[in-house]
Amino acid sequence: MTMIEKLKDFKIKRLLFNFLIFNLLILTSIYAIEPPANVVAKDNPNDGGGSILIQWRISPSDSILDGYRILRQQQGSTEISEVGFIGRGRISFTDEGTTDKMKYTYQVVAVKDTSEVASAWSNPATSKPQWFDTNRISVVVFTILFTFLIIYFIERAKKGTNLFVRKIPGLAAVDEAVGRATEMGKPILYVPGLTGISDVATIAAMNILGEVAKKIAQYDSRLIVPNTDPIVFTVAREVVKEAYIQAGRPDAFKPDSVYFVTDSQFAYAAAVDGIMTREQPATNFFMGYFYAEALILAETGASTGAVQIAGTDAVTQLPFFITSCDYTLLGEELYAASAYLSREPLLLGGLIGQDWGKAVIVVILVVLTVIGLLTNLQVLKLF
Amino acid sequence: MKVRLPLLLVLITGIFGALPFLIPHHVIQTADNEFRNSVLVIIGAFSLVLGVGSIIRHHMDKVRRKREHWGYSWVLLISLLITSIIGLFGGIDGNGSLPTHIGNFHFDIQTIFIRMEVPLGATMFSILAFFMSSAAYRSFKARSFEATLLLLTAFIVMFGSVPLSAYLIPKLPHFAEWILTVPSTAAKRGMGFGIALGGLATSLKIILGIERGWLGGTK
Amino acid sequence: MSIWEKLTKIDRRYIYLMLLLVVMIPIIVPFKLHPKPMPPVENLFNAIDAIPPEKALVISVDYSPDTEPELHPMTYALLRHAFARHKKVGILCISLLGLGLAQDALSTVTNEFNSVATTHADSIINGRDYVFWGWQTMPLVPILGMGENIAKVFPVDYYGNKTDTLPMMKKIKNYNNVALLVSIAGGESPFWYITYAQTSFGVRIGVGSTAVMATDFYPYINSGQVTGMMSGMKGGAEYEELVLTKLGIKGRRKATEAMSSQTAAHLWIMLTIVLGNIGYFALRRRKK
Repeated sequence: MTMIEKLKDFKIKRLLFNFLIFNLLILTSIYAIEPPANVVAKDNPNDGGGSILIQWRISPSDSILDGYRILRQQQGSTEISEVGFIGRGRISFTDEGTTDKMKYTYQVVAVKDTSEVASAWSNPATSKPQWFDTNRISVVVFTILFTFLIIYFIERAKKGTNLFVRKIPGLAAVDEAVGRATEMGKPILYVPGLTGISDVATIAAMNILGEVAKKIAQYDSRLIVPNTDPIVFTVAREVVKEAYIQAGRPDAFKPDSVYFVTDSQFAYAAAVDGIMTREQPATNFFMGYFYAEALILAETGASTGAVQIAGTDAVTQLPFFITSCDYTLLGEELYAASAYLSREPLLLGGLIGQDWGKAVIVVILVVLTVIGLLTNLQVLKLF
Repeated sequence: MKVRLPLLLVLITGIFGALPFLIPHHVIQTADNEFRNSVLVIIGAFSLVLGVGSIIRHHMDKVRRKREHWGYSWVLLISLLITSIIGLFGGIDGNGSLPTHIGNFHFDIQTIFIRMEVPLGATMFSILAFFMSSAAYRSFKARSFEATLLLLTAFIVMFGSVPLSAYLIPKLPHFAEWILTVPSTAAKRGMGFGIALGGLATSLKIILGIERGWLGGTK
Repeated sequence: MSIWEKLTKIDRRYIYLMLLLVVMIPIIVPFKLHPKPMPPVENLFNAIDAIPPEKALVISVDYSPDTEPELHPMTYALLRHAFARHKKVGILCISLLGLGLAQDALSTVTNEFNSVATTHADSIINGRDYVFWGWQTMPLVPILGMGENIAKVFPVDYYGNKTDTLPMMKKIKNYNNVALLVSIAGGESPFWYITYAQTSFGVRIGVGSTAVMATDFYPYINSGQVTGMMSGMKGGAEYEELVLTKLGIKGRRKATEAMSSQTAAHLWIMLTIVLGNIGYFALRRRKK
């Protein structure tokens, strides 16, 4: 290679080098991304430990980013691990994989294609479990208030204050319905709903069953209780047995009158329909929570000419019971039934306390709605 | 003792059941999880045994005393036995130790389920449509102003929930949807408050041992 | 008996017979009706479309055979949508009787996809693309337990595989990795998911409900606790319509097929109400 050729070669190489540098500068000026700032790590509040909340001020170039990588370093260790990646526009991340009492620091890396810019390391933070969830404070306050109202009225009831409870036609008709069955020599069917024992409606159904069974024992009628839940079945059997003992007729109790059928919804409906058409009960009780089978049961019952008393807190099924039954307990009337039937002052007191609780809620709702409307209504801005 | 012990158990488990909602600490959460995962599953399994025991006893009794319609009890008992055997030993899709087909005739548990249980259940559910039509015909009369209003609303919702309405009156399905999401929901919320509070009060009364009807009596 | 009186006292058996006819005739001689998707259905579709690859869609098959005709098409449509978009799917049952139905839907829809798939990546594979966790006793056990650890609630899946060894489960640990949970039910299990999974763990909930139960869930759409909902057969048909028009997935659309019968039945019930009222008013006028 001659001297001139070498010079030429060098010039070309320099030109090429300059061109590359120039391009790189232009590229970086277009795509320069800035890191997020003020990365703060702290224990994630209201949890059982094992997680740290990382927050940051959004990167000024957020709109062109792919997202953020979150890096973690345990204090005393040199190893850096990536704990997560989240999309642009986000300003916080919860690291769910921490060990309590260990110190961690975090770095948030802004990512755009292959380029990355990291923030400064955050303060060290540790995770720890909390003993109280502060988000739930309103629930606690209201429950305490409500409990006090109920206990207050129960105490008043104990002292003998006369407590008024309005007449509930469906419950007032229980005596007549049981009596009718006795006169006709036909059985009484009691369907305790389709939910398990943990449902309040089922418990209410059990309470009513106890009172109804007592009356049946006194009148010496026959009772049929088919069940769809095995646990409810065992409870129902105990309730009926106990009711017969209390009525002084333990000999009249037939264990066979309370039994389990199936936990399949419509197979149960078919079985109960079968009982209604074969045994022709004089009275049908449908108490508890029901689903779509409500109308199937109630219409079949109506076609056999039985007196029907229903009670449910399943709002969607109420219209069906109202059309096909003689009496229907609406919603919470079902829960009030055992107080109404037993006339136990303690239970009546509880009922009135519950109404006061409801009044408190209504007042709070009205006040908050008015405040909400006053602060948000566009029309008011005209004044 | 017979009353006190259950009441004490209810008090303890009732309060313990509410704690995990308020205390996020893992000590409580783990205990609660263990309770649910182990204890409740065991109770659930045993209750199934009780249930099956009850239905077998009920029908055996019927057969033994030759009560009315006792022949059907045989149908139930035999079906129960056969299905259990196929279910226990036939495996899903017939890959268990028990042969579940004779030539092209399959009787594995999945086939029994899809070919018998599904159509039988669907038949029962479809009866609802018949009962609804007769109940609607019988009771939907414009007897008063309120009843007329109810009737009109029902018409809008019923017609709005068939695809045809979107072609004839394009706005109608949206109006029907609005009826469901606004006025109907408002009424439901009102009832919902009552029911939730009634539920809370009943739970409290049970936990505190005031309501004892479910134990068989109030005394 | 005058004609007006007769109108108020039609024997219920004639009403049943007519209903049977108006339901059956459109099945034998079908006329196609394409439902227009309503906002709750569209919201559900969009929520599933937006599920990121690291999260899963969970379908809770909570119905029993009784409501199969009304609700099963929803499960089909959801699975077709999720598999077409290669979303991870976890399936569980709250009702024991849901097991057979979930298994039926899974085997049918995976066969649809796998019969046309050409590569391994295109196929829908158990353990990689979906996991069928099965059933666990007592509804609250899985609903709350999945917030902690799914593999602990379901140690083995429906087919007997150890759940935590499945590839998909490496990333799907608990509700934190669940983008949306759709509960399809004829009962109140969506309500349990709203109360326990949504409130305690913040999972987004979708609902597929029978028409007769659907009004129970509207309050939760308003409050934002339910992301989207399919109500009744029409809701299922609307979802099928979205799957067909937006994804071009064909396959039998049972809910759409039933729309003609449903329309005819609704019109018949409305007609009986009108007839009853005509008779009622004519009689009342005469009495005056």
